[in-house]
Amino acid sequence: MVTTTQTPQLTNRQKRRDNKVAFLMLAPALILLSIFVIWPLVYAWIVSFYNWSFYEESTFVGLNNFRIVLSDPKFRASIVRVLFFSVIVVPVMLVIAFLFANLVKAVGAKLGTVLKVSIYIPTVISSVIASIVFVLVYEFRVGLLNWVLGFFGVANIPWLGRADTALYALTAPAIWIGLGLASLIMLAGLLDVPETYYEAAEIDGANWWQRTIGLTIPLMKNIILYLLVTGFVVSLQQFELPLIMTNGGPINSTLFPNLLIFQRFTNDLFVGYSLAAALLLFLVLGALSAVIFRLVNSEKSGE
Amino acid sequence: MTVTKQPPPAIAQPRPSSSATEPGRTPTRPRSRGPGWKVIRYLFSAAIILAALFPLAWMAISGFKARNEVVASPFQFFPEVWLWQNYVDIWNDPQFRQALLVTFVGALLFAALSLVVNSMAAYAFARLEFSFKRTIWVVTLITMFIPMMAILLTSYIVVTRLGMLNTMAVLVVPGATSALHIFFIRQFYLGIPGSLEEAAVVDGASRWQIFTKIFLPLSKPVFVVVGITSFLAFWNSYVWPILTITEPDSALTQIQQYLAIFRSERRIEYGLLLAGSTLAAAPVIALFLVFQRYIISGIRISGIK
Repeated sequence: MVTTTQTPQLTNRQKRRDNKVAFLMLAPALILLSIFVIWPLVYAWIVSFYNWSFYEESTFVGLNNFRIVLSDPKFRASIVRVLFFSVIVVPVMLVIAFLFANLVKAVGAKLGTVLKVSIYIPTVISSVIASIVFVLVYEFRVGLLNWVLGFFGVANIPWLGRADTALYALTAPAIWIGLGLASLIMLAGLLDVPETYYEAAEIDGANWWQRTIGLTIPLMKNIILYLLVTGFVVSLQQFELPLIMTNGGPINSTLFPNLLIFQRFTNDLFVGYSLAAALLLFLVLGALSAVIFRLVNSEKSGE
Repeated sequence: MTVTKQPPPAIAQPRPSSSATEPGRTPTRPRSRGPGWKVIRYLFSAAIILAALFPLAWMAISGFKARNEVVASPFQFFPEVWLWQNYVDIWNDPQFRQALLVTFVGALLFAALSLVVNSMAAYAFARLEFSFKRTIWVVTLITMFIPMMAILLTSYIVVTRLGMLNTMAVLVVPGATSALHIFFIRQFYLGIPGSLEEAAVVDGASRWQIFTKIFLPLSKPVFVVVGITSFLAFWNSYVWPILTITEPDSALTQIQQYLAIFRSERRIEYGLLLAGSTLAAAPVIALFLVFQRYIISGIRISGIK
């Protein structure tokens, strides 16, 4: 910070000079943040201790809402489910992104641009449209997937209609949408690795595989860790795809925690349960981000 | 872009050519050798492009099929006869056009508001000294890490209490401030050399004048990224509109809402639905293609360094 390097006197005088204009310029942002982000978060914590309703007097119930959520087998199952989903989605996405980055680096500029633009286009498409398309891809009689599999003699499968396939079916659109951003960040990281390292490695006769294991991955550790964590944080919150494609079914096989919360809120107006569940996830996700970012930062400063 | 003499601020400056590799790097390093590698590279490239674009191409092409041909068995990739009918019909649905229009206007307002609010805050954090600066900065940054669901429900309660349901304001205002965008613009402003302002300060320019006369004209690259990102986020949003635009057949029904409702209510008319989806996806794809250089280079720093 600039202030710490200046004498206190100067700082105070400067502060007095800027205070008015600074707060005027900050006011719109801070007011909006307070009303629509900070207050809702505080309010969520308050309400989560009450048996709250739109229409009735609320009563204080202490930690009861949290207790209900944590002992609800449906909620627990949804957590396991989304973890399983993320354990598929995130690593697959990272591996493809890593290969993609290496590919773009290896091909010429023109093809590289085409690749970068192509892979990012699904990211600018809405979840609604992605869902509409993928529901058709998975369609039982006339879907693209069953048509392709038909050539290999596989009988038609109702991908989204069966409890044992629906969750897997959702991974493809999730990867399709998320891959663009991960790939381009990965590429930025790869291009930041100083070229001189590779020259040295090549003189030593290291092949692509050896260079990747010995050089690229260790040097890109921070970026990969970052993508891993943000990937999980995003994936664990997934709910638009199941909301539109399956609405949590069949037999709750795609009912993720956020979808459960959303359904409870919109269908039953069970506000206490929804808020307690959302806040529990908030704690887990927040802790996850905080720990890993601390880790990444401490390693950075340790270098 | 207005020509400026100072070195480019480190971020979000589109590079002169959109080449994947830095200039000067490519020639020095021999590419992986052998025809085998080359074939693998092209195959892999083709696979990536196909996987990314095929579903969308299929969507657009299926829009040209006769109304029920899409779900006709057996599967056919191309239409029996190419028909414009679905595109014409969906376009002639006044509700569809209304949804496109109102979403477009909303997205423009949202992008504009987001630029105004976030750039002013970013300037204050980048250049001004004021009380509690560090505290306010940290609190602002923390809001970046709040998961959507933790505040979605109570935000809904708040806007209900404020009487904002079923208004344009409820779509545009609550999400306009974004800590991520403030952070992004601030990074850009920190990269603008202080020497530019010194002359203005000597001439007695106020802080506000420095912001509007010096910083805003330089902001184009970063504004393009923030503006487009905001526009896309608004255009694609679904959950917030279905919570807050609750009147059936509201004139404020958003395009994603329209498509989802169409899908659940007129499920068999897949040709129409896919034509509508194609028309709804076209503007954002076009917008991205036009500004892809800015957006792709913007991603370089939205990650970590």
